[in-house]
Amino acid sequence: MSLMDSIRKSAVGRSIWRTPKRVTDRDRAAAHWGNFFLHIYPVKMRREQISFKWSWFLGVASMVLYGSLVASGVYLMFFYVPSPTTAYGDIIFLQTNVAFGQYIRNIHRWSAHLMVVAVAAHMAKMFYRGAYKPPREFNWLIGVVLLILTLLLSFTGYLLPWDQLAYWAITVGTSMTEFVPVIGDTVRAMLIGGTEVGAQTLLRFYVLHVAVLPSLLIGLIMIHLWRWRKDSMLEVDVEVGNE
Amino acid sequence: MAGAAVWTSWDFLQPVAGQAGGPVATVTPDAVPSETVLEIPSMRGYLTEAEGEIVSLRWKCPHLGCKVPWCESSGQFECPCHGSVFNRVGEYRRGPAARGMDRYEYEIVDGIIVPDTSKIIRGAPVGTLETINEPPKGPECLEATSE
Amino acid sequence: MSDIDPTTSSDQRVLGFVEGTPPVGDRKIPREEDSVMVWPHLLVRHAVVALAVIVFVLLLALFFNAPLREMANPTVTPNPEKAPWYFAALQELLFRFHPLVAGVLVPGAIIVGLVALPFIDRNPDTRQRNRKVAVATFTIFMVVWILLTVIGFAFRGPNWGWVWPWLEWYGEL
Repeated sequence: MSLMDSIRKSAVGRSIWRTPKRVTDRDRAAAHWGNFFLHIYPVKMRREQISFKWSWFLGVASMVLYGSLVASGVYLMFFYVPSPTTAYGDIIFLQTNVAFGQYIRNIHRWSAHLMVVAVAAHMAKMFYRGAYKPPREFNWLIGVVLLILTLLLSFTGYLLPWDQLAYWAITVGTSMTEFVPVIGDTVRAMLIGGTEVGAQTLLRFYVLHVAVLPSLLIGLIMIHLWRWRKDSMLEVDVEVGNE
Repeated sequence: MAGAAVWTSWDFLQPVAGQAGGPVATVTPDAVPSETVLEIPSMRGYLTEAEGEIVSLRWKCPHLGCKVPWCESSGQFECPCHGSVFNRVGEYRRGPAARGMDRYEYEIVDGIIVPDTSKIIRGAPVGTLETINEPPKGPECLEATSE
Repeated sequence: MSDIDPTTSSDQRVLGFVEGTPPVGDRKIPREEDSVMVWPHLLVRHAVVALAVIVFVLLLALFFNAPLREMANPTVTPNPEKAPWYFAALQELLFRFHPLVAGVLVPGAIIVGLVALPFIDRNPDTRQRNRKVAVATFTIFMVVWILLTVIGFAFRGPNWGWVWPWLEWYGEL
């Protein structure tokens, strides 16, 4: 009996794992029903559906990058105050005085760019597979919203270092909203909290970046995965061809 | 209920007064030049004079919000971001901008020009004729660095 | 259903069969030999992908530092002024067209188009050879968009003038 087996058999082990060791197919299936993190997965899938060719695993890659962003982002939050007087200094301090500060910031930055790439590529791949067709129209729609949220998260995060790159990219980016007919000026004022990018803008973007948008994103990802589980298992015949 | 929630959040998140600018004391009218412009960082703009009138310009490009620098050699405003060009009083000459530069309303208080940066007068749209006759007087700053 | 005879299996009798699809839709059960257990086959693949992505990010972060310019200064606009790379295509459009077109109508049309796509393209076939119009349209859009992004990101320098990226580099990440 291995160490893992003896742990599973102990009183504590039996309270954690709801299912027996995965020996038979039935045990393996039970692992899905009995595990919170795995219950989103189906028990069986078509062989084609789990191949690299099928999805390029871009959805998984996006999720992993999101996890990396949350982990590194929380770390960065410990050293950052969203105010024009402190923000830039905090980043300098982080890079020079905090253990692994520069490294974690690099991880956050590159994960962010890669996530935009991964999510966009995921969408393109799904298009070419025709994965937006019935019964999955609604999941495609959620995917579009997820792409927009990803872009907004990246864009709001871009301002936070409060350097020249950040300040002017956000000035130019938010100026586009002024050209929306009728409500443009009001929308921009709401977004940046004034007429110029300033202290209020930094605070608003920070709140959006660390609280509002990530919560929305995680909520929608849950629905996205749930609909994948419910809708996408029906696709097999359509996509492989009706033999 | 959803409507009420949206309306309340919208109302609560309106920019706080004072964040959207306000009156800024600048200089006396005699200090404002009529050949060139005077940059006033505190009001994020320029002061100049045309036909006895003070012109209080906002430095933000009406295209996408870059700061439009004054080009001394050509005597016009030239935006480095996307190449919009305006004359000395901020009227549209060329480029992707859709209107002339904005102006601030101002008052003269105790002999000092006080523009109010929260009161913005939109620039005239493209196609409006220029009110001053000042063709570019020299080489443009834009061309010196491009290509 | 082969092991149960529906006509005798309970106290109910079958009076007849009706042609058509069941209410849940045309749902076919994959053949046994075509299907695999998700645990371990899919989960192992997901774990490998996750590790590969993490290792890639960790290596990237080891060799390239995140950029940080001078502190924000509202009185000086950098030249060139670049938006983040995923907005470079929009910025390139803004240089050429009226902001209402490039900044509002084009992005608006893209979002509306993507959202409405499943309801515009009603062809149920997912094989690419049977949906040439959709695939061609999307591919053209993708190529144009990527081209504009690359131009805006790498081929634009001071005053948004044309530069060759191997001679002068102005891209910002």
